[in-house]
Amino acid sequence: MNFEDKKQSILGYAFLLPSLLVFAVFMFYPLFYTFYLSFFDWNMVKPVKEFVGLANYIAVLKDPVTWKIFGNTVLYLVILLGFNFVMPYILSFILSNIIKKGQGFYKAVFFLPSVISLVVGSILYIWILNPISGPVAIIAKFLGLSIPFWSKTEGWVIAVLCIITTWKTFGYNFIIILAGVSGVSTEVIEAARLDNVPMWKIFKDIVVPMSSATGIYVFITTIVQGLQYVFTPIKVVTQGGPNYASSNMIYMSYHEAFTLYRTGTSAAVSVMTMLLFIILLILEFKFVEKGVYYEN
Amino acid sequence: MKTKDLQLGWHTLLAVIVFLMLIPIVFAISNSFKTLQDAYNTVFQVIPLSPTVQNYIHVFQKLPFVRITINTFLIAATVTLFKTLTSVFAAYSFVYFDFKGKGILYFVMLSTMFIPFTVTMIPNYLMISKIGLRDNIWGVALPQLADVLGIFLLRQSMRGIPKALIEAARLDNIKHLKIMRDIIIPLVRPSIISTGIIFFINSWNEYVWPVLILKSKENYTLSLALQMYISAEGGTEFTIAMAVSVMTMIIPLVLYIIFQRYIINTFAMSGIKG
Amino acid sequence: MKNIVFENVVKAYDKNVIVKNLNMEIKEGERLILLGPSGCGKSTTLRMIAGFEKLTSGKLHMNGKVVNDVPCGDRGVSMVFQNYALFPHMTVRDNIIYGLKAHKMNSKEIEVRLEEVLAMLELKGLEDRKPKDLSGGQRQRVALARAVVKRSDYFLLDEPLSNLDAQLRLRARKELVKIHEIYNQTLVYVTHDQIEAMTVGQRVAIMYKGKMEMLDVPSNVYNRPASIFCARFIGSPSMNIVDVDYNAGVLKLGNQEIQLPDMWNKIVNKHGKDKLCIGVRPEHVVLSREKQAHSIEGLVKYVEDYGNNYGVYVQVRGDKNELIAIAGENIPAQGETVYINVGFDKIHLFDRETEKSLGYPVELYNVKAELPDNFASE
Repeated sequence: MNFEDKKQSILGYAFLLPSLLVFAVFMFYPLFYTFYLSFFDWNMVKPVKEFVGLANYIAVLKDPVTWKIFGNTVLYLVILLGFNFVMPYILSFILSNIIKKGQGFYKAVFFLPSVISLVVGSILYIWILNPISGPVAIIAKFLGLSIPFWSKTEGWVIAVLCIITTWKTFGYNFIIILAGVSGVSTEVIEAARLDNVPMWKIFKDIVVPMSSATGIYVFITTIVQGLQYVFTPIKVVTQGGPNYASSNMIYMSYHEAFTLYRTGTSAAVSVMTMLLFIILLILEFKFVEKGVYYEN
Repeated sequence: MKTKDLQLGWHTLLAVIVFLMLIPIVFAISNSFKTLQDAYNTVFQVIPLSPTVQNYIHVFQKLPFVRITINTFLIAATVTLFKTLTSVFAAYSFVYFDFKGKGILYFVMLSTMFIPFTVTMIPNYLMISKIGLRDNIWGVALPQLADVLGIFLLRQSMRGIPKALIEAARLDNIKHLKIMRDIIIPLVRPSIISTGIIFFINSWNEYVWPVLILKSKENYTLSLALQMYISAEGGTEFTIAMAVSVMTMIIPLVLYIIFQRYIINTFAMSGIKG
Repeated sequence: MKNIVFENVVKAYDKNVIVKNLNMEIKEGERLILLGPSGCGKSTTLRMIAGFEKLTSGKLHMNGKVVNDVPCGDRGVSMVFQNYALFPHMTVRDNIIYGLKAHKMNSKEIEVRLEEVLAMLELKGLEDRKPKDLSGGQRQRVALARAVVKRSDYFLLDEPLSNLDAQLRLRARKELVKIHEIYNQTLVYVTHDQIEAMTVGQRVAIMYKGKMEMLDVPSNVYNRPASIFCARFIGSPSMNIVDVDYNAGVLKLGNQEIQLPDMWNKIVNKHGKDKLCIGVRPEHVVLSREKQAHSIEGLVKYVEDYGNNYGVYVQVRGDKNELIAIAGENIPAQGETVYINVGFDKIHLFDRETEKSLGYPVELYNVKAELPDNFASE
């Protein structure tokens, strides 16, 4: 190491330091502390934390409510992936290869709700989807239909909370996927069209594999961010109800910690949530290792 | 013929999505100028029959609304300023310096994207309480002074600058801080502006963390104020809620409309990893 | 001495060796060209001089001092980059004087120097434009101006003309030489273009796969190539190289024989190997319809029209090899039998195994070596 190298290193670390410091104090230290708390019985105010080993984890796993919530979480993921991953993928393909017009306009409009608070989104949809006086209910009534009291109905409540979240995040995913899909060489697609390959096959066999790096990225962020985004509508609209029917693992952690003051169970649920994310992360790297097509 | 019908079908679908995206905003603005009675009786009347600003007046009378707006602004501005600064420096470091552990550090920083907020909320809540910043807007801002998304996006756009530009400056023995100020920042300005705007908007809209930290009304942010008017059944104050909604979304919407092109281009980049 | 000396210099990225044990001296005030195909290590060599790349081993001396650890800004180097590396957000003026201003040079001196380079490179009137509002030639001149205005001892150019069209390139070459004659910096110029190399360079270093193949004045690079690679790389169409076996004064080519004169026999005998290659430039091959002394018989396979002359592909009888001859008139037709004649002062002999030149008879050194008249016009 000569002087110049040293100077480079020192400056390199120095420029990183402010960010690292914030991450260390407010991300990594809390991460370890939460892990630590998951082995203790505590309520944030008691002077003594009681070590209970794996009891929190066992209690969580034994509780039937946990399994209901776990099922909800899966349902959330399936619906969110359908709305925020599959739909924008198909729309991107249509816009970049079939319609080819107005991309700028659609991007601008679809992204617009992304800048609006989810609390605002929640309140707007509560009114729009109000089963008695909301515009949708009135139209339904006109057609001789009725809409369910979704905030009190298992299943429906999750669907509606997903719709609220989708309204906000759809455009963001759409823009990213569209960039990936537009990056697929038009020559390849034109070559396939000369061979009369149907559009849906072009989508399935050419566009999806060739944009898979972007695809996997959006898939994973949809899962990781989506579960967290949906927290806001849960919190402001249903508080996890009725009877835990709209709670997910993120909301459960919050509820355990700040409503029931059981830091141990909350921490255990958080750790389990993160494990889920880590597994997904590993899966992503496995995929990348297997030679996902990377557009430059 | 068949393809033409199909085209028409796709156009219709896109039009429906556009409608669904925009209609909630239109309803919000419309309802905020209606009386509660009109809101219930003339649901599809977009332009109110008897427009009123009563809802807005109510907000200013019943809430320390100016204070709440200033709180939201102060938090968002502080967070934006610091996140932008720390991101510019970190991105510059990752792109232009060579040092041990650079790859690992970058990986570690990126991995924070996968940490759900529930993992950090209890310790951060305890920490902020301990240093006496609970129920204080600075307690909201403090844990958010750096952001991995900003580092990622700015690194991405700095990598797009030809390395030869920096080499040309290094040949003249120009110091890194000066290179950053004179060359890099002017060249990635569009990205800095759009990440900054996104930081600002996200912080402006933030709900989860402030709801844990802020307790009293004079320390509330807009999202928290709005939450007070929510009830799943609609309720008697919902036109007021619409007025608060409009005032909450107006700043982000204006910023978005002005900087729309920058923002979309920057985000389109974020999926392409490198 | 503002010279540059490479002493056993190696540059490697992990296991990938880019420059292999380079030894060379670039003399003060000369124009030296680093010439070679892409990936040969020429740009890396230049970038080591600039200080952008660290040496893996060996020593680099500049101005009599080892500069391995001297940061790039302290080496007194100015450089013109391949894509010019102009700051897109600055005007022409700011681009040119950015470095001077950064060093707090007094503004009068800056103004004097600026005026000088603007006039010299015909950039007057463009001072307030941004690079995107300039033509390719103008950008290239701004890049040149930015390097010249520093008046540094060393002047490096990395493929500076590769983005210009043919006409502008001709003009830029002349301009470069003119500038060098004014300032006399030690100039190192990287290119893959042989014509640029020959016309700009006072000496040319040919690099191939990280090794320096030869370093000499342009005429020797053309007339006395040090290796098969150099022989093929310079000249177009490239030199005919054919395997021959030597036996007691006779070169055997297929089933035909060529009696070598004494001056060549001495060279070959001294070398002591019999598996050789003979090289002849297409422009030195003379075709005739009648057999002459030392002729080789061949069959015309194909004729290419170059416009001003023709390329005739001739297959040597009894051999798989094809030679190209450049012919101006009296063109044989495809399928015709012709005789190939080459003067013994125009042949090159190489060791087939090492691919190095066997050297040249002393008799030939008396003949003044020159580039053909039409070389630079291609």
